[in-house]
Amino acid sequence: MLDLALSPIRQHKPDKLRQLGIMSLNGMFDEMDGAGVLRQAVTELLPGDIAIVSSFGADSVVLLHMVAEVDRTLPVYFLETGKHFPETLAYVETLKRHLGLANVIALHPDPSDVARFDAGGDLWETDPDSCCHIRKTEPLDARVSGLGGWVTGRKRFQTAERGVLPHFELTADDRIKVNPLAYFSDADITAYKLKYGLPEHPLYSKGYKSIGCAPCTSVVAEGEDPRAGRWRGLNKKECGIHFDFNGAIAKPMAAQELNLFKDGKFIADPFRPWVEGDDPAAARYTHIPLPVFLDNRDAVLANPHPLGLLVSPGDKVELARGDLDRFVSIAINFPAFTDGRGYSSARLLVERYGYKGELRAVGDVLHDQISHMRRCGITAFVVRHEPTKKALIEGKLATVDIFYQPVGLTEIPLGTRPFLRRRAVENA
Amino acid sequence: MYRYDEFDAAFVQERTAQFSDQVARRLTGDLNEDQFRPLRLMNGLYLQLHAYMLRIAVPYGTMNARQMRMLAHIARTYDRGYGHFTTRQNIQFNWPKLRDVPRILADLASVEMHSIQTSGNCIRNITTDQFAGAAADEIIDPRPVAEILRQWSSLHPEFSYLPRKFKIAMTGATADRAAIRFHDIGLQATTSKLGEIGWQVWVGGGLGRTPMIGKMISGFVPHEHLLAYLESILRVYNRYGRRDNKFKARIKILVHEEGLDSIRQQVEEEFAHLKGGVLTLPQEELDRITRYFAQPDYELVNQTTVDVAREKIVNPPYGRWLERNLNAHRQPGYVSVTISLKPVGGAPGDATDTQMDAIADLAERYSANELRVSHEQNIVLPHVKVTDLPAVYAALVDQGLADGNAGQITDIICCPGLDFCALANARSIPLAQELTRKFQSPERQAEIGDLKIKISGCINACGHHHVGHIGILGVEKKGTELYQITVGGDATENAAIGDILGHGFVADAVPDAIERLVDTYIARRTSADEPFITAYRRLGKEPFKEALYGNA
Repeated sequence: MLDLALSPIRQHKPDKLRQLGIMSLNGMFDEMDGAGVLRQAVTELLPGDIAIVSSFGADSVVLLHMVAEVDRTLPVYFLETGKHFPETLAYVETLKRHLGLANVIALHPDPSDVARFDAGGDLWETDPDSCCHIRKTEPLDARVSGLGGWVTGRKRFQTAERGVLPHFELTADDRIKVNPLAYFSDADITAYKLKYGLPEHPLYSKGYKSIGCAPCTSVVAEGEDPRAGRWRGLNKKECGIHFDFNGAIAKPMAAQELNLFKDGKFIADPFRPWVEGDDPAAARYTHIPLPVFLDNRDAVLANPHPLGLLVSPGDKVELARGDLDRFVSIAINFPAFTDGRGYSSARLLVERYGYKGELRAVGDVLHDQISHMRRCGITAFVVRHEPTKKALIEGKLATVDIFYQPVGLTEIPLGTRPFLRRRAVENA
Repeated sequence: MYRYDEFDAAFVQERTAQFSDQVARRLTGDLNEDQFRPLRLMNGLYLQLHAYMLRIAVPYGTMNARQMRMLAHIARTYDRGYGHFTTRQNIQFNWPKLRDVPRILADLASVEMHSIQTSGNCIRNITTDQFAGAAADEIIDPRPVAEILRQWSSLHPEFSYLPRKFKIAMTGATADRAAIRFHDIGLQATTSKLGEIGWQVWVGGGLGRTPMIGKMISGFVPHEHLLAYLESILRVYNRYGRRDNKFKARIKILVHEEGLDSIRQQVEEEFAHLKGGVLTLPQEELDRITRYFAQPDYELVNQTTVDVAREKIVNPPYGRWLERNLNAHRQPGYVSVTISLKPVGGAPGDATDTQMDAIADLAERYSANELRVSHEQNIVLPHVKVTDLPAVYAALVDQGLADGNAGQITDIICCPGLDFCALANARSIPLAQELTRKFQSPERQAEIGDLKIKISGCINACGHHHVGHIGILGVEKKGTELYQITVGGDATENAAIGDILGHGFVADAVPDAIERLVDTYIARRTSADEPFITAYRRLGKEPFKEALYGNA
């Protein structure tokens, strides 16, 4: 999916002035001023050189309504993948009529690609990344590569990965992505629709919160991440059209650091640190300290947003054992690398209480402790120490990858020789 | 003894490569000293007063000739021609260069040795009875379980950053020669009512600035559950041991502050989860490891005893050596020989490269290629035929290693002290040397009998002064080295911590003060058969206090 993005042109580095420009643009608008952002992009920033891509999904109507307000002739690209729900196709027509959109353009996959790679029509099942690639990335890329920028409907609250999304992004190939709805919450969307009496996607009332192609979309349960219904069961969060060349969200600004090492690479961390005074009932994308959680358990469990849990030395993880599933991420805090209590906490979470979400190390995370952390079940690392970053990026961690004692769930199957020793599983 | 398989060899090689990388990063500055310190410590590398010091693990004190020769090679090549055997059954080199350390570790790896976890806040080298596998009073040879514990504790990912260091000692014999009640965990082999052999577990013992005698936390843990039980203790300690104060971070403080019953309950709760899990030790694995420690092929010999009384007349030094330096062996016709590293005027525990080579030769020729390091800083040839004793003795005489003083007043345990150690407050080696000179007369030593003097140059008590029959602790007061004398300590199964009887002495006054204690004992003992420690227990402090400080 990303090979195309690795062409030499795409690796061209945006110049500093342009990055500064983007940074200042991001400071210009109030968080909720989506229409202002869009107007700026369409009339000032890239007049005649920008388009919008819409899925005509559950929330698309809000952005399309803004388009109608700003310029109803703006090109609106719809990825007609051939796999949509009939309700979605009907909804395209409904919105065209209702909003008076004058320039909706359907993009179809290249028939020869479909014939070659998906003759049976089941590529979505066997290789969803490739399916997205031929049905979305390729057709869109062909169309927008000539443009200076495009507008998306992405929102921060949608998934953990999108939590740092700004209004304006500068992509690695030096184009501008505009996200007028970046700061809209679920409630803001609903309120906006209500305020302007906008028609709903027919499937929304049936529990679909994020709607893509029919085979890869399922109903989202109460309290779930809204995009959890997309590619359910697969380790896939994005279709490919929103990735920057490194697989992360495009750099919102030059200063956006990639500190979270996960799945073999550094990505932008969607979480921000918990701040004293944050509201447990409304916080999102932050790791709530375990004692705060215990004191505000009901409020946190009722909080609809994605949340993490922060376990510091001295915290008893057993006190939260029944609620661990509520958290998409648990951060083990190592305030000093010499404090080894986090290793016990990690093992208890994974081995005894069966926690399956992201388990990350935060704090004093250094080169020489990472292999111990991995063996205790930690899978993600927030790294600030430059030499450690370098070693991780280059894959040059000095480690001892064979071990004597069984630790964790994967190192030894129950009932066999405890001294069965083998090479550590390569866990990124 | 245990031999590395491919896995062990690869493990040590990877570890050596890892540490070489860390040294390289330190030399380039990618690691600062704060970040490097715990890494080098976990590889036994200290920064001392004058230089780096490298501590090499001798797992449960067991070595073969080839390994001893490598230690001699390291002493010769990278150091100043000697090494120092420690109370942890390890060896320390006092003058290596940082850039040489990776090469030293590679050399060690070639003979199945390493320095992993000889320092740092992790589980240290397991120690045991220096006569393990040979002693006549043994219930079980502790070395197979010690080896299993070595493997379990090596780079344990959960327990590499404990609140403080963690020491485990074990003994398979009825007599405790491994000071198990003064370790974080002590394991004493025992037999259950059903006749099954397992382990009595003691916890929370230790020396240092707050000496404590270990408490029995479990009366019987079978082999198969021992690892799960120890992991339970370590987890409770890792989670709840104090980290706010380095001096209160050992498990002895946790046990003391929370109470044994509370700790036992927490450990039992953990154990309920872990028992029967992946740490269960299958009998086949225990058997497999045990085969490495098979008894040597003993010869059936006609002569099973030696006439010590006769030898004492014919050749008194040899007779004394026979009397003091042999330990009863499980096999008729064999004995274990203690090679004293306590010559008069010498630094206790030091051996030169030449001596190490000679000891290796003796092990090869006369002791089934086996050697032991004792926590009393001597070397042991565990399996020597009685008929070979004259030859062994003659070879030791050639090397200046034939002192027949094991267990006597000149067989002093002594830390390196202010001559080497960055922590020390006072010198300890010169004092030990002075005492050996004062009591050098063999007749005088024989008259005194069993008497253990232990000297530490600071409160950290590496010289085990708390458990010396007579203990000497160096302190520093207003720029002067002073020595605090304690009496009545005992490291064995009759564990006791020595009593402080009064103020300290300046160095020059210590030998005379010790002599007054000795004279008081001799004057008041019921017979020559009543040892110092027994007499002290019977007589109490007063006469000894008077001996030290007069009647005032």
